[in-house]
Amino acid sequence: METFWEAFKRHGVSRRDFIKFATTITGMMGLAPSMVPTVVRAMETKPRVPVIWIHGLECTCCSESFIRSATPLASDVVLSMISLEYDDTLSAAAGEPLEEHRKKIMKEYWGNYILAVEGNPPLGEDGMYCIVAGKPFLEHLKESAEGAKAIIAWGSCASWGCVQAAKPNPTTAVPVDKVITNKPIIKVPGCPPIAEVMTGVVMYMVLFDRIPPLDSQGRPKMFYGNRIHDTCYRRAFFNAGQFVERFDDDAARKGWCLYKMGCRGPTTYNQCGSIRWYNGLSYPIQAGHGCIGCAEKDFWDNGPFYERLTNIPVPKQEADADRVGAVAVATAVGGAIVHGVASKLRNSGKKEG
Amino acid sequence: MRIETAKKIYIFSPGLRIWHWVNFLTIITLFATGLYIGRAFFLGPTGVEATYAYGEGLTMGLIRKVHFIAGYVLLASFIFRLLIALFSKRDRLVLPTLWRRDYWVGLKEITLKYILLMRDDEGHEYIRNACARTVYPLVYLAILFMIITGFGMYGMSNPSGFWASLFGWIVWFLGGEFSTHMWHHWVAWLIIIFAVLHVYFVVREEAIKKNGELSSMFNGYKFFKGKPVDLEDIE
Repeated sequence: METFWEAFKRHGVSRRDFIKFATTITGMMGLAPSMVPTVVRAMETKPRVPVIWIHGLECTCCSESFIRSATPLASDVVLSMISLEYDDTLSAAAGEPLEEHRKKIMKEYWGNYILAVEGNPPLGEDGMYCIVAGKPFLEHLKESAEGAKAIIAWGSCASWGCVQAAKPNPTTAVPVDKVITNKPIIKVPGCPPIAEVMTGVVMYMVLFDRIPPLDSQGRPKMFYGNRIHDTCYRRAFFNAGQFVERFDDDAARKGWCLYKMGCRGPTTYNQCGSIRWYNGLSYPIQAGHGCIGCAEKDFWDNGPFYERLTNIPVPKQEADADRVGAVAVATAVGGAIVHGVASKLRNSGKKEG
Repeated sequence: MRIETAKKIYIFSPGLRIWHWVNFLTIITLFATGLYIGRAFFLGPTGVEATYAYGEGLTMGLIRKVHFIAGYVLLASFIFRLLIALFSKRDRLVLPTLWRRDYWVGLKEITLKYILLMRDDEGHEYIRNACARTVYPLVYLAILFMIITGFGMYGMSNPSGFWASLFGWIVWFLGGEFSTHMWHHWVAWLIIIFAVLHVYFVVREEAIKKNGELSSMFNGYKFFKGKPVDLEDIE
């Protein structure tokens, strides 16, 4: 395969633009400026890496996000940086010829291709809830993972399970790492993940020929190290105690903190506060809506989205921890008083016998 | 009037008494500030720019700061409590003596007393009754849980930092940061329910037996009619 630099030259990109590009992506990958020469060197020498991109139980929002990447452009990534050999959503070819091509690529680059998984496999009914190329996606995934160098789990589906794995999980959908256990898996959660995070992960892997540093949950540290709350531009309003209390109140118009509206920023690890979306244009909190925590495990089960404290299942009541706690403490106090009076009566008078 | 002879026994060491009252103050502070952090039931100063709000009244930032300082004090006093238990026998009364017969006899007696089937002046006397021996370890565990979850969440603002590497694992063990917030909240209420019952049973003991239960956490002494069954635990 040709190197990136060769691919760039073929497209008529000047050396100057090439260096500019290398500098930009160094920043996007969260690397120090001193790494620029290393990135340039890697782009001049490393061959493009074949990628097989498969789709399981999902909504394709990861692909939708990916193709909107602005820095670098998704088209640059797909056409110049990686060699996207199989993607049943993006490719022009379809059916048996495409499946044949996937098998050919797997054989040709055995142990060297990257497998990108979008969506997850449902295990229920032997995997019959999701069929790809006439076979359960479960088999499709296992077969494609066999010769992969590493696996990228795109989005919350592949990383945690997401909506299809929310209670009661009727199809028994499981994240990729429950099925594939013998390959390095990079989790890139989010529903969808930020486009620049997706391209950043891909670039890191192809340029340095290794997986990015991961945290204990298997997420790239440079993109999932911070809570949205800790990078949020509305954090000052939180610290000042200036909160939105209704979506139509004056505080909402002033752009105060959405904490009381159930914002999940304090419990969500993602780059929305710093990289933001659509080439840094905005992100949910900036648009006036709280974060729903889409990059977090089981975020669908931690509802309601507009409440700060989750409901405790009390029959026929809407009750959160504070209400249940207050009732329990009041009961304890009442019980103590009644018990105290009874104890005093029981122990009055002389000891018998 | 019959004069009863009472034996004055030294039970609570000065270290333990100091720890108890420090713990009382920190837990009250942590609970009050924690309730506000979980549910911000009043707004901070609203007429000023957020930047200048600190000087204008009670802010979330200040309340969180108090919560974190109290958290550090709680941690320090917890470590202090463990250390004094290493050096002094009478500070080691917290584990249930499941292997001893007197524990089970005591558990039966205290249960009968609490459900009012037995008078409190009947049965054996204990330095530390079996019910307390059973519940206190759970309270220590609850406080430890609050310390771990609290510092876990606190430390994750710097995921490569000291607190995150020490206690950050709890966040993932409990299924994510949101669940950790909820667990932290629920267990806080459990500790307060314990506190209510704790105060009640102490007052009850004092009111019925008049044995210095209430003042023992100030001066260290309690009064007994006879020789307590578990006297060997402190002497």
